[in-house]
Amino acid sequence: MLFQWKVSKRKNTINEQSGQAQTVPSGEIDNRLDANIETIRRTTGNSTDVVIRRFMLGKEKNIQAAIIFLSGIVDESMIYQFLLESVVQIDFPSSCLPNEALLYVEQKIAAAGKMRRMKQWNHLFLSLMSGETLLFVDGVSEALSIDTKGGEHRAIEEPSTQLAIRGPREGFTESLGTNIAMIRRRIKNPNLWVEAITIGEVTQTNVSLMYIKGIANDEIVEEVRTRLRRIHIDAILESGYIEQLIEDQTFTTFPTIYHTERPDIVAANLLEGRIAILVEGTPFVLVAPAVFIQFFQAVEDYYARFDIATALRLLRVLIFFLSLIAPALYIALTTFHQEMIPTQLVIAIAAQRESVPFPAFVEALMMEVTFEILREAGVRLPRAIGQAVSIVGALVIGQAAVEAGIVSSTMVIIVSITAIASFATPSFAIAISARLIRFLLMFLATLFGLYGIMIGVIFMTLHLCSLRSFGVPYMSPLAPLIPTNIGDTLFRFPIWALKERPRLINETNMIRQGKQQRPMPPNESKKEGDDH
Amino acid sequence: MERVQLSARQLFMLAILFEHGSAIVIPLGVDAKQDVWLAILCGMALGSLLFLVYYRLFTYYPTVPFTSYSQQIVGTFFGKGIALVYVLYFLYIAARVLRDFGELLLTFAYPETPLFVLNAVMMLTIMYAAYKGIEVLARAGELFFAFLYLIAVLGFVLVIVVGVIDIHRLQPVLEEGWKRVFKVVFTQTLYVPFGEMIVFTMLFPYVNERKKVKIAGWLAIWLSGINLALTMAMNIAVIGADAVSRSTFPLLNTIQEIRIANFLERLDVLFMIALVIGGFFKISVFFYAGVIGAADLFQIKEHQRLIYPLGLAVLLLSIAIANNFAEHIKEGLNIVTIYMHIPLQVVIPVLLLIIAAIRNRHM
Amino acid sequence: MTIKRWCLFLVVLLIHITILSGCWSKNELTDLAFVIAVGLDKTEDGKYVETFQVVNPGNVAGATQRGGGSGGIPVTLYTATGDNLVEASRKGSKKISRLVYYAHTNLVVIGEELAKEGIMDVFDAIERNPQFRTTATVVVARKQTAEELLSVLTPIDKIPASQIIKTLQMTEKIWGENLDVHAGEIIEALSLTGKEVVMSSFRLEGNKNTGKQQKNVQSIEPYAKLHADELAVFKKGKLIGWISGEDARGVLWVLNKIRQTALSVDWEQKKEAVVYKVMRAKTKVIAQMNKGTPVISVFIEAEGDVGETLVPFDLTNPTQIAKLEEKIEKEIQKEVQKAIQRVQQEKSDIFGFGEVIHRSYPDEWKQMKKTWNERYFPRLQVKVKVDAFVRRTGLRNKSYLK
Repeated sequence: MLFQWKVSKRKNTINEQSGQAQTVPSGEIDNRLDANIETIRRTTGNSTDVVIRRFMLGKEKNIQAAIIFLSGIVDESMIYQFLLESVVQIDFPSSCLPNEALLYVEQKIAAAGKMRRMKQWNHLFLSLMSGETLLFVDGVSEALSIDTKGGEHRAIEEPSTQLAIRGPREGFTESLGTNIAMIRRRIKNPNLWVEAITIGEVTQTNVSLMYIKGIANDEIVEEVRTRLRRIHIDAILESGYIEQLIEDQTFTTFPTIYHTERPDIVAANLLEGRIAILVEGTPFVLVAPAVFIQFFQAVEDYYARFDIATALRLLRVLIFFLSLIAPALYIALTTFHQEMIPTQLVIAIAAQRESVPFPAFVEALMMEVTFEILREAGVRLPRAIGQAVSIVGALVIGQAAVEAGIVSSTMVIIVSITAIASFATPSFAIAISARLIRFLLMFLATLFGLYGIMIGVIFMTLHLCSLRSFGVPYMSPLAPLIPTNIGDTLFRFPIWALKERPRLINETNMIRQGKQQRPMPPNESKKEGDDH
Repeated sequence: MERVQLSARQLFMLAILFEHGSAIVIPLGVDAKQDVWLAILCGMALGSLLFLVYYRLFTYYPTVPFTSYSQQIVGTFFGKGIALVYVLYFLYIAARVLRDFGELLLTFAYPETPLFVLNAVMMLTIMYAAYKGIEVLARAGELFFAFLYLIAVLGFVLVIVVGVIDIHRLQPVLEEGWKRVFKVVFTQTLYVPFGEMIVFTMLFPYVNERKKVKIAGWLAIWLSGINLALTMAMNIAVIGADAVSRSTFPLLNTIQEIRIANFLERLDVLFMIALVIGGFFKISVFFYAGVIGAADLFQIKEHQRLIYPLGLAVLLLSIAIANNFAEHIKEGLNIVTIYMHIPLQVVIPVLLLIIAAIRNRHM
Repeated sequence: MTIKRWCLFLVVLLIHITILSGCWSKNELTDLAFVIAVGLDKTEDGKYVETFQVVNPGNVAGATQRGGGSGGIPVTLYTATGDNLVEASRKGSKKISRLVYYAHTNLVVIGEELAKEGIMDVFDAIERNPQFRTTATVVVARKQTAEELLSVLTPIDKIPASQIIKTLQMTEKIWGENLDVHAGEIIEALSLTGKEVVMSSFRLEGNKNTGKQQKNVQSIEPYAKLHADELAVFKKGKLIGWISGEDARGVLWVLNKIRQTALSVDWEQKKEAVVYKVMRAKTKVIAQMNKGTPVISVFIEAEGDVGETLVPFDLTNPTQIAKLEEKIEKEIQKEVQKAIQRVQQEKSDIFGFGEVIHRSYPDEWKQMKKTWNERYFPRLQVKVKVDAFVRRTGLRNKSYLK
């Protein structure tokens, strides 16, 4: 069985209007322009950014019309320079009825892209709020919605998380269209399908589902779709909302959905058969299903040569465990298993602890918490002040605490190693879960020493093995072991050896490359011939 | 039964971890002195024959566990009786191994901690594993298998590099002839750990590649047999047959001999890892088999319901089983072997196989 | 069971465990007295005296660490008396403010008197205690009690126990008259009939009273100095004799313990004229039966350089080298034969020849076993064969002497 998640037994009687702030006028629009404008004014509460521009249409300029848009989220130059101008300049027949005028406008304007006629108020408001321009004509009970989305957006910049020395420099922005385009540019294939869903009763956030038809597993796509459709909430402000609403398991510290700011990572994941969920208004794109080892795969692993990538990846997994157990190990060894430390070292540590008034656990806890405080303070503060915090931190922890005899310098070393190790994990999401577990392990180590740590690790492993992400076992391809996919886990085999896509995600279409992709330089004799 | 599937590979790794379990840390079959490795290898050879019996039973009834087909073979009444005996046997052995484990841990590192606490912590983990089911246990097994092997190879290489091995300590081979070896085989090494594979008759129905069950089981028995023999031989070559036979943990003494450059020394942690992980898997498999056996016997759909009461029972039993370590070991060697291992690992399965073969003649 | 109840159960159990566990086996580093060396003696009325050399961590790590190092001494000595070792050790708590902790005891010193009475009883406690490492080095205190040997401050390795261990290891490696024997090896030898115990002795010389004081390490020549002394030969766990000098080295040759050493041979009438530095050596011992009597063959292979010549000597000439090798072989053979004869006089098979026979001829061994040390070993025929190779000659190939 691929899908084994539990379906919530609670039967939700979902109210269509749940979460709505105030009802949008239902029904169709009036045929009087004034009445329509009044409705819009009333519904939007005379908001100042609603621009209503009236003008006359037709050969004799006898038909009243108005365009309505929200300034700021539309491309205003487009409206004024092209739309308005071309509307006015249309060569209307002499005796043009208002009805025909709208038809004319729809047919003759070439300056704008998408155009739709609508009657329903709720559709009209949705279009208006998403940055389209509405064209009303007096006497017609239909309006034209013209796509004029635009306005100011953050330009494409280098992503601020997941930096890479080698690799593309662009990162996602807050604009959904731009983000989709960035992925499209990387995969020029009609099978890259995009589905749009609007989620959030109040915010009406556009969410796009992206996958490669034929590579992605249809069952998983369907599952993502149903889970997204099940969401009924007032607002989606960031992809984190969606992540928490569709993940398989809430009570876990481990992330079961991957998120990234880099279009190249998304493209690579789509090609492995995964599904991307893009959310309007955030540069973080969700990728599902995610597996544990994915959080250790830095993007550069694939751009660097395989030996270096393998070494770095092994290092990353190692430091993940280091950041997990280093303080716990310190506690266990110094309070339970002094016999396991080499004599010279134990005497050195004992000498340092001679003047420390706290038990090892308190000492470690104190230092770890201090570090977390410093980190948290540094993250939220503006950059300039952040530096000041780190200086104070370095002085307080590194120097003063040791000199005052409150902590031993070994402890400072341990905490520093842990801290650096947790920063060296490529994914913040997994590093933060390691932090939480670290405290748990420290506690267990205080109670039972190494035995406690090992019990903790066994518990953690059992938990990890029981997790699934959209039906895919979280620890795959390590457990269950899938030998053909092991090349991209703790190791990164040469690209030509990574022949198949992850097996549990895909079921068909697994081969990625031709048969003999291993580079074959011309042999020696031929080379000599070339030299001449 | 849970609706899950295991691959043959997972069965293999689970069996390996199970076989190594506590066997690698305890003085297994040391009465054979320097021939203990021979005793283990002979136990292994006979053990794979026993496994063939279990496997043949499985091929007759490939979709149900032992506790179900015992009823099909000898009728509901006797079959239920047999099934109950086996469920109790599995739980009792789980309690025994738990006691072993607690005692070892206590002697080695936690002299002042009450046995109950150490056992309770372990049992809690095992109950969690049983709650999550065999699939999760098997997956965790795959991860720990790799980890444990890495540790084992590391330890082995270190012992060799340090140069504390003196092959001459293994001589004279067969000083007192085959008699001593076979005595140990038939009183110890055949049943622990090889005959204990009987517990896997509860897990075979989960395996999705039925044809590979035999080879997976055999490979597990052979590989663990060779590993155990190698480990015991190493222990003897490092600390001598006499010290091994007197030691509570020969492997610990061997590991303690590792000293490289005044820094790579005191690697007891390797021993501890082997002890805890091995113990965990051994008890987990026994406990899980007991739980699903009971669920099968009493027609309980969710085996999870039984975990709490049975877990508590095993925990309390592990404490109540004996007054001291010596009594515990004595019971294990004499009473359990004669009244439990021999009938339940050898006699009943063979009888069941004969009856099953007669019944399924026409097939 | 629903998930909720399961969680509740877990929480309750965890709380119980947390509350119940008073952190039993937990000891903070500051609650431990690290015993680095143990000295064992016996009083006249048959009680054991246990001497602990306890590390003073604050004073060892030196001046780099704040709080310590200001002229304090690195170790402190305590003694305790008891009917047996466990009792003595526990009684020690009357004097030591911390838990006596043996896991880092790397040295066991046995007083000469105790050694003569027998060390059989001593090692059971050592082997049984899970803290104690069987890799601890064991030495005998020559002509003094263990307590006396341990009460000295040493200049280079601040901890006297380390001084003893390192000296022993180094001299075994470089010179080869002393033996670094671990407790485990002693226990093994005690348990085997075909092998007896041999270990090194140590001696403290000089002004012992001043040796106990800081003054000892502030003088360019310490008032009291430790040095490795003769090999102690045991029989059935009792000290019966001493072997020194070249004989001691001969013993090490047989035991395959020689790594490096130097020996000199005569050359053209000049005594001890050429010095041969052994850089690598290997010994094999093989047992054979010759008409019902055992014969032991010792094969020694040595490789080395010429270290010093006191006569004009052309080392570029291979025939000269071959001649030299022959002389060296004879020299080693003589040394080993002498050592074996010396040990045979003591009637104690410290070489483990008996074990070699046991391994190759288990049936014959059963008859010899009981009277091995008395009857067979002293009259055992031992053949010694030496292969020596001169590999290099140092930075010069000819001497400046003409």
